[in-house]
Formats: sequence, C-alpha cells, structure tokens
Amino acid sequence: MFDKSTRRDFLKRSATVATGALILPQIIPSTALGMGGKLPPSDRIVMGGIGVGSQGTSNMRDFLELKNQVQFVAVCDVDANHATRAKGIADKANNNTDCRIYGDYRELLEKEKLDAVSIALPDHWHGLIYTAAANKKLDVYGEKPICRTIKDGQTIVSAVQKNKIIWQTGSWQRSQSNFHHAVELVRNGRIGKIKYIEVGLPNGNKGIGTPPVKEVPAELNWEMWLGPALKVPYRGVSHWDWRWILDYSGGQLTDWAGHHIDIANWGAELERTGPVEISGEGVYPRDGIFNVPVEYDFLCKYSNGINMRVANSAKLVHGGGATWYGENGWINVDRGRIGASDPKILQEVIGPNEIQIYKSDNHWQNFIDCVRSRKEAIAPIEVAFRAISVALLGEIAMTTGQKIQWDPVKEEIIGNPMASRLLSRPYRQPWSLPTI
Amino acid sequence: MKKQYLIVLIIAGLLTIFNACQKGTAYKALIVTGQNNHSWKTSSPILQQLLEQTGLFTADIAKSPEKGGNMDSFNPDFSKYSVVVIDYNGDSWSEKTKTAFVDYVNNGGGVVIYHAGDNTFPEWKEFNAMIGLGGWGNRNEKDGPYMYFRHDSLIVDNSAGIGGAHGKRHEFEIRARNTEHPVIKGLPQRWIHGADELYARLRGPGKNMEILATAFSDTAKGGTGRDEPILMTLSYGKGRIFHTTLGHADDDGGPALECVGFITTFQRGAEWAASGKVTQKIPYDFPTMTGSSLRPDYKELTLEGDLAKIAAYDITKSTKYFSDLQSRIRYEAKTTAEYQAFEKQIIKVLESADATDDGKKLLIREISWMGSDLSIPVLQELVKKSQLKDAAEFALARLQPVK
Repeated sequence: MFDKSTRRDFLKRSATVATGALILPQIIPSTALGMGGKLPPSDRIVMGGIGVGSQGTSNMRDFLELKNQVQFVAVCDVDANHATRAKGIADKANNNTDCRIYGDYRELLEKEKLDAVSIALPDHWHGLIYTAAANKKLDVYGEKPICRTIKDGQTIVSAVQKNKIIWQTGSWQRSQSNFHHAVELVRNGRIGKIKYIEVGLPNGNKGIGTPPVKEVPAELNWEMWLGPALKVPYRGVSHWDWRWILDYSGGQLTDWAGHHIDIANWGAELERTGPVEISGEGVYPRDGIFNVPVEYDFLCKYSNGINMRVANSAKLVHGGGATWYGENGWINVDRGRIGASDPKILQEVIGPNEIQIYKSDNHWQNFIDCVRSRKEAIAPIEVAFRAISVALLGEIAMTTGQKIQWDPVKEEIIGNPMASRLLSRPYRQPWSLPTI
Repeated sequence: MKKQYLIVLIIAGLLTIFNACQKGTAYKALIVTGQNNHSWKTSSPILQQLLEQTGLFTADIAKSPEKGGNMDSFNPDFSKYSVVVIDYNGDSWSEKTKTAFVDYVNNGGGVVIYHAGDNTFPEWKEFNAMIGLGGWGNRNEKDGPYMYFRHDSLIVDNSAGIGGAHGKRHEFEIRARNTEHPVIKGLPQRWIHGADELYARLRGPGKNMEILATAFSDTAKGGTGRDEPILMTLSYGKGRIFHTTLGHADDDGGPALECVGFITTFQRGAEWAASGKVTQKIPYDFPTMTGSSLRPDYKELTLEGDLAKIAAYDITKSTKYFSDLQSRIRYEAKTTAEYQAFEKQIIKVLESADATDDGKKLLIREISWMGSDLSIPVLQELVKKSQLKDAAEFALARLQPVK
C-alpha cells in the first residue's frame, strides 16, 4: 500500500512519463493519458462517490468513460437505492463486487484510502462535506453551485487552499468548444472593451402546492438528508426537487450560476473578483412548499465600470447564456450555440501571439490530468466561488428588497447588518461548520 | 388576546375606510348590463365592488330592459362617466344610445370590454372597431382577420371561418407580451389564471390595438394550439379601451372572477381607460407561474388577516399568508422603524399562547434576518420549547452573531 503522499508522487511521475515534457504550462492534452485504456490498475486514480443520485452517477459514468484511468471503490448516499445502483456501476467497471457502500460520508472518509472524491449533493450539504474532503487531503470533483451561502463558500475555499488539493467544479461548459471560443474572442478584444453583460438563466419551476406529509421510505435516511438544515416533515420531496426549496437551494438562479455566470466572468476577467453593488427584484411563488424565485432580475455593478444583469432568460433579448456587449458589438454563447452582432467575428482565428485561454476538451479528463500533474484544473474553487457569489448576493438583494453594497476584496456586505445575516445559514445542531 | 386581535381588525378596517375617503374617488364608472348569456346578476355587482375597492372609482350600474324588451327606453348618460364597463351581451341598443356611446368614446371616454362583452353587437361597425376582436354572433371573415401569436410573432390570419371559440374551462398560463404598458408593467411575465374560458379564434378589424397578454390555447383542452389574445388595449377617437377576455361568471361567481390576475388587470385596465395612467400597486397575492391565486371574497389580504392566518397555521395548510407577509416586508419596510413595526406584530404572535408552533416556526425564520434585539427575549423563551428549539436557535445565531 502507498500512503497518500507517495502514491500521489507516483501518479505524478507516471503522468510525466506518459506525457513527456509539457510545452504549455497549463495545458495537458486530454488524449495524453488515455493511451487506449492501457494504464495498469495501479496507476488508476482511486475514487469514491459521495452523493450518487442522478448527477452523482452521471459524473461517475463520465469518469468511467475515461477508460481505465479511474476506479470507484466506495460510494455513499443517504438513499440506499442510490448507493446500490452506484455500486452496480462501479462493480461492473471494476469487474468485481468489491465497491463498498456507506450511508454516512464521515465513515467513508475515515475508512477508505482514496485519491479523489466525486461529490454531488444538495447545496445545503456542500459546506460540510467539501470541507471535510479537503481536510482529508482528497482531490475533489464537486458539483456547482459550490455553496449555499457566502460563508459556506469562504470556508470551502480556505479548506481547498490550505490543504493544497486539486479542485474541479462541475462547471463543464468550460470544457466545451463553443464556450471556449466565445471567451477567447472576448478576451482578445474582438468586440472591443466590454461595457455590459447579460446572463440569462432558466425560467423558474412550476409549483406543487403543499403535498401531504408522508412516511419516510425505508431506503431514505431523512434526518441525514436534512443534515444541517432545519427539520421539516417529509413530503415525498427530496431528490432533484430540493432545488426548488430555499433551505437547500436558490432555484434556477443558483443552480445555473456555476454555468452561465461563470462563463460570463471568464470572458470579462471578473472570475477572481466580485460586484460592488447589487440590486434587483424577484417573483416568488405565492403558495406551496416550493419557494425559490420563479422570476428574477438583478443588476451587478463592478468597480471597473462593467454592469452585469442576471435574469431569467425570458426577460432577455438573447435569451439564455452569457452575452457580452463591447464597444464594437456583442457575442452570445449558450449550450449548443454561439452568436455575434456580426457573424464574421465568429470566424476569427486567435493567433499564436494572442491570449490563449486554458483549454480542456473533457471536463472529467481535465480533473484526472490535474490530479496527476498537480496543476490547477479548468474550474478551480476560487472562480466557482466568485460565480455563485453573484447569484447569492442577487438572492440577498431580492430577499431584502434592498440595494446591497459589497466589498469584493474583504468579501463583506458594507454597512448593512441586516442583509449581512443572510451571508450565512446557521446549522442545526449537532452540525457546525468548521473554522479553517 | 383574541379581543386585542378584534380591536386591531376594527382599527384596520376604519383606517381603510378613512384612507378611501381621504383619497376621494377620482373617477366615475358605469357598468352596463342587464342582458348576457353569462350570469350578469352575479358579475356586475362584483365588478362594481372591484372598482370601488381601488378607492379610485364610484361605480353605477345601468341595467337594460330584459331580452326582447323595449330598448328605446335604455338611454344611459355616458357623458357623466370616465369609464364604461361593458358587461352586456344582448339586444342591439337604439340608434340614439349607440350614437351617444360613440360620441362618448370619440370625446375621450374610457371603455372596458369584459369577457362576453366582445360577443355583443356583431353588426355595429363602430363598436367592433372599439373592441378590436370579437367572437360568436355569426362573426366570420367578413368581420376581419383572426389575430393570434405563433413563435412570438403576431399572426394576422385572413382565412375563412367562424369567430369565437373556447374549450373546456381550465387554469391556464397567461404570458405578458408588452411588459412596458402601464396596465401590466410590473406584473410577472407569466402567471396562472384561475379556471376560466380561454377565448380563441377571435376576429375583427384589430386596428389601433395592442395585445398586452396572450395564453396558449391547448388542443388537449379543446383549444386551437395558438397563443390567443387575452388582454388588449385600443384607441378610438380620443377614447381608450381596455379589453379583457377573462372573468367568466357563474351564478356563484367562480374562480375566473376570484382570480387575483383577473381582478388586478381589470382594476388597472379600468384606471388606464379612465385616465391613461395606472397608479395602483401590484397586490402581494398576484399569481405567479407556479399557481393561481384566488380571493374567495374578492377582497385583498391585509397584514392583520395574514398574521391571524399564520397564527393558526399548521403544516397541512396553505402558506400563502406567510408569502404575503414576506412580500409586505420586502416592499414596504425601508427604515428601521418600518422593520420594527413588522417585528413587533410578529413578536405578538410569537408570544401568543394561541398561535401554533408551525406558524411560529415560519415567523421565526423571517425574523432571523429582519428582526432586531427586540426579538431576543421571546426567542430565548422559545428555545426552551422542544418543538421550537432548532428554529429559535437558528434565529438567535443570526441575530446575536459570535464575534
């Protein structure tokens, strides 16, 4: 058995052998490590999956598609059916029946010898579990949004930095060519200096009223599902639909911030700062247990003069995605499309002496490559935190009906103790967020 | 404690009346009714109540003779009014009355066409120019094109066919098409309307008309598969017309009339028709895309009413009164004093032995961000109750952060 650090050094050495000398400092060809699936089992990254519902198993499959670069040896879920299904996926790939099942992430982290974890949980659990994984010095592929509150996010960022782990956020649009192309055009001034940005995120959910309280199914540990959130009765709403309830999510706004706000920030070089003033309005459901805003529209002002409007897509001319407006035109990018004020802009080729932005063709491969090389992944924790911060500050402006002043350096709301309370959500005992 | 609530309610009631008197009623409205294939005896008094509760209108009702009666005797003096509401679908008016009505609109009078009001007078050219689109009464291609939306574009369809149709009554989503028009500015882009007839295949001249909102007429509900016009504004001469196809009335009213979406657009449309502007606030209980919002007694919710309902809340009940309270705080409280006014009302419920734990849990969440030191004592008491411990600790952690 390797201990952690020696195993990691070994992985790093084998990566260097496999890829030869790296020419571009941040870029590893995604094909370099695949090698036709020829890596011996000892070179594979040993992973665990925490939260293996729909997104968690989807990520597992994406890792396993990388052909023998990864093996999952343990999975954890508060729903025994999820865990059993995920074990089936892992066992099939491993050609054995050895994948361990856990219902409590603390036990998995304590008992398993892993290189990395893939984590996909409702947002209210992110603060605790991302921090715990980082403190175990495990590299993390973690789903966006990376936090439910600013305070959770600050704690996670500190834990990732302090433990020097490799972090990849599930903001996979960064590894798609149309988004990369749009960002590179914007960064190279093809529409001139950026003045204004619009980010269109999906329109809100439908309501379901107030479903009756139900008996918790035998496979589900409801107490553990709730974790640090306030105790509420089980109404048959947990998986997937948690994203329509404010205790666990901010709705489409926070769910998609890690995609289109992240891309907008990337293009406009706002990915390591934040707005200074945020104001706007939301439309909230009038009744029922789903209570996230169904329409939202807020404006963020940045100290460099750029304004960013974030709204549900039906409110915007270009609909969904990120739209940068520069002195000489606009570029819009969304899933499956890219557009510009002048289509010729999109034909532009970025020359060798121009700005080359980080390139990844496969988001999961990029994470594995970085686990081996110890280089920063394409969606590191700091930029993920800045993307979700925009949405969380918008949420605070809409919740309070107030204009919020934000210090993006100190990461504090200025002169508004009332709004500042919404920067955190106290945890229900016995849970508490550690101080890093 | 209950007595105190009663006194609060009485004072609130008096204040409402006082406010209405103080404001004075800016406009006079006339509801024209008396014949209709719908229950006009129910709808007209409700429309009257809705206009008057804005505090902007006094509303009279002009009742025509019964069907087949002598229409020469029906001569309302339109010129005394700022807005005339057509809740009428029946015999033709006399030439004299028609002329008086056209003169009234030409001279700047406002009109609201309500639901089956766009069914009446198929033969009267000027009236059809005012309503823009109509249905039934043997309307067909001779009366003008069909107008509807497809893929977000207005379609003007001259094909032959009858005008006017609706499928089964059902709840449907209304979609704003011109969010800058005063009548619907500030409303959600989409909302669910209470079960109603979704008028479709309307046709008419459609001139000087703006379609403010549409609804998708689902073939599964017997509809057309088109986005049909639901709310419209028109001009005729100097007059302004607001046309709503909503608000089907049964003998006992019904969800189409009780819908806050209908009520609000009717009230705003009437003010706009009377004055060209809208000064009314969007009510807190306006529906959203997640569901309709009904007022069984056609009256707006009050803060006191909300708190009384929250005090009686248990987890099987509607949370709409809590949502309403949240909206009030979000939009009304700006200063410390205004926040504390809400907080003091909330504290009263938290201190009340009659209020439910479930109701208190909702209020504790709200107070956790907008409360002040005033709430600390009651929260410290509630921490001792096992049912409320977690919620009270949550609020205390926010109100008394560890430095």
